[in-house]
Amino acid sequence: MLDRPGPTGGPAKTGGIWLFIVRRILQGLLVLVLVSIVVFAATQALPGDPARAILGRGATPASLAALREQLHLNRPVVEQYVTWAVGLIHGDAGRSFAAQEPVSKLLGDRVINTAFLLLCSGLISIPLSILIGSYAALWRDRPFDVATSLITLVFAALPEFVVGVALVVLFSTTVFHILPAITLIPPGGRPWEQPVAIILPTLTLVLAVTPYVVRIMRASMLEVLESDYVEMARLKGLPERLVLRRHALPNALGPTFQVIAINLAYLAGGVIVVEYIFNYAGIGGALRDAVANRDIPVVQALAMAIASLYVVLNLLADIATILVTPRLRTRL
Amino acid sequence: MADTPVERPGDLSATSLTRRRLLINAGVFAGGVMLAGPLAACGGSSTATSGGTPKRGGNFRLGVTGGGAGDIIDGQKIVTKPDQARLVAGFETLLEYDKNYKLQTTGLAESVTQEASDKWVIRLKQGITFHNGKTLGADDVIYSLRRISDPKQGLFGTAGLASIDPNKIDKVDDRTVRLNLKQADSTIGDQLGQYYNGIVPVGYTRAGEQIGTGPYKVKSFTKGQQSVHERNSSYWRSGLPYFDTVTIIDFPDVAAQVNALRGGQIDAMTDVPAAQITVVTGQSGLAILEGQGADWRPLCMAIDMPPFDNNDVRQAFRLIVDRNAMLQQVFSGHGRVANDLYSPFDPAYDSSLPQRHQDIAQAKSLLKKAGKENLTVDLHTTDGAAGMVDSANIFANQAKAAGVTVNVHNDPNYYGDAYLKLAFSVDFWGTRNYLPQVANGSIPTAPYNECHWPPKDSNYISLYQQALAETDAGKRADIIHQMQKLEYEQGGYIIPMFNNLVDAYSTKVAGFNQGSKATLNLDSFGHGYRNIWFA
Repeated sequence: MLDRPGPTGGPAKTGGIWLFIVRRILQGLLVLVLVSIVVFAATQALPGDPARAILGRGATPASLAALREQLHLNRPVVEQYVTWAVGLIHGDAGRSFAAQEPVSKLLGDRVINTAFLLLCSGLISIPLSILIGSYAALWRDRPFDVATSLITLVFAALPEFVVGVALVVLFSTTVFHILPAITLIPPGGRPWEQPVAIILPTLTLVLAVTPYVVRIMRASMLEVLESDYVEMARLKGLPERLVLRRHALPNALGPTFQVIAINLAYLAGGVIVVEYIFNYAGIGGALRDAVANRDIPVVQALAMAIASLYVVLNLLADIATILVTPRLRTRL
Repeated sequence: MADTPVERPGDLSATSLTRRRLLINAGVFAGGVMLAGPLAACGGSSTATSGGTPKRGGNFRLGVTGGGAGDIIDGQKIVTKPDQARLVAGFETLLEYDKNYKLQTTGLAESVTQEASDKWVIRLKQGITFHNGKTLGADDVIYSLRRISDPKQGLFGTAGLASIDPNKIDKVDDRTVRLNLKQADSTIGDQLGQYYNGIVPVGYTRAGEQIGTGPYKVKSFTKGQQSVHERNSSYWRSGLPYFDTVTIIDFPDVAAQVNALRGGQIDAMTDVPAAQITVVTGQSGLAILEGQGADWRPLCMAIDMPPFDNNDVRQAFRLIVDRNAMLQQVFSGHGRVANDLYSPFDPAYDSSLPQRHQDIAQAKSLLKKAGKENLTVDLHTTDGAAGMVDSANIFANQAKAAGVTVNVHNDPNYYGDAYLKLAFSVDFWGTRNYLPQVANGSIPTAPYNECHWPPKDSNYISLYQQALAETDAGKRADIIHQMQKLEYEQGGYIIPMFNNLVDAYSTKVAGFNQGSKATLNLDSFGHGYRNIWFA
């Protein structure tokens, strides 16, 4: 999360925002290196032997030995790690055991599909939750606020698969028949060519994320609205709209960005469930399939992709927080 | 065998064909059996029972359970269930099984004749072309059979066609091939009707272009997602098929599959779970297609390992099972109770042997006689096929009544070093007739003989060899009955039940003509999607 470059209170004049960004990127890379070690170690510990999983009933000692040789499973673990990590740096995530083709070919379209789903969900849920949270704070204890609290509590308590299935029942199979129950993306096609088909998965993810952000935005906004500087601005006679836009909102957004980042990163995991429900051809289905098949290169590539997303989102959240918070900005 | 590694091959729910029947029904000559001509009339578009006159056009969308990065298209092998649906769209076999599980000459061969117990002659129909326009000839058949016989290819048909000598397949003329076998084998016709023994052109490889003789050719294929197959406009069965395209979609999750059918995004689906059947029948415009299957998940007792080296223990365990209860619990009753014998579709299946029922008192007394009261055994299983783990757990529960403690081990590494060396384990098999199944699982040379059958002092193997060499179907059935009796009285398999194949489709689709005996889902996928159309 947010770490402050200078010692608290001290005049840390070290080069401003750019240096901060460079430092955070380096830290992010360090995190990814550590993650890669953990991912590699964890996939080594997956129950089951990939060679056996691939050969299944046809496994004989000879064919097992031959396959282990082919998959480099009999090399020292450190050597396997180095080979893999060097490959990753060069953009080569190895070959899928199950599909017998490069991981990049297997996952390329799926990564794009999932990224698009996350992007749509983020673009809708972020502004929506900031708006709802702010208004709930402004109209504290009024009907809008009470209703928002109730509804967000309910949706925060419901797991995605319940929401997803309920949406399917409501809009596709039972009550209305107006939206597709699953998302069919033809091979080579793109999700944005099927706008109607991605409504339900997007909506499910939006409903999963929005409640948390709304609640933190509301709390944050309430705190700001009661602060001295907002009171001062009002006393100076500034129009309420200006008070909110110039003084209240930016300060309330700081903590909210952190929550948004965590939630979006969480989405990268939650999307697995949602993709399952809607048969959406994204990384979720690939990850599940890869774990079942002990397709280690695919599991590793996906784990690294999701970890990278975490790092990038946190970086963006930190930068955004700095930018909207004058106190932090001036401290750089 | 045809069972696959990781996923359960298609075999599982599918497969098989009718073997022996054909030989029996098709006329028996002094020295040989002939499958030929007159039957040919019933192939092709025979089906249509509903929906009126067939119409051309449309994109048929099929949802198939399972699939993933392991998906392949190959005219002679499958790995996942969707592979099966894709294979039958593009590839065809020399002989075909009809809806009563009888072998027919409705496939690529005009006749398949057993000249002598170890000689078979295949005669191709005229005017059949591959997707690339090349005419189907003897060389393609020779190449296809040699490919199946090559153990390095890892194909399903290898064990079943083991008696073929790949170096002694003669080309008699452009349409005729003679097989000179390594040993007498009356089951060759059966094998040639197995859906996974498809005929491919000379030079065919899995990595190359997917060229077969089937009604649809592959247009696109993305592993784990979907494939699109387009109409073969020069298909040899004139007028067929009806759809412009067939789209086959993988569904890892059955709930999504049912939703897609109900929401109208697919036109048919395989493998409706029992709990969802009423959901499907409750919606107008949808229908269930259900047929008896012959896949089986045996509990296997190794007859040479304690405590199962004592036949009283084996028979006691067979009496412990409440087959009806297990069928209800595992498949919600969609299936039928079995009698510890496989191959129920085989005309030589001996249904006169008395049905075994649960008899705890008798089981206890047999265990007491064997000196094995309060027995504790380990039962190994894995998630290899639907029902394998459930069957083990239910058996463990039922065994308590007989004072037997069964510890169930669910092992992801099951098909590895320990497989076939366990005293008590669960396995799975697809549909096969009796003799081909014996070749796969019940003799010492079989690749998957879990029970280590037969006993050393038994005449089972000599009976098996007599049966293979016997060209008279009636006499062969007598020999098979003797073999089944041995397995019934002393065997190591506990076979509690056979499950049905339960599929669903939109009633917009016409032409399904499911017989009582189902080998592949959805009336063998509408026979490669050639007999079904949008009404």
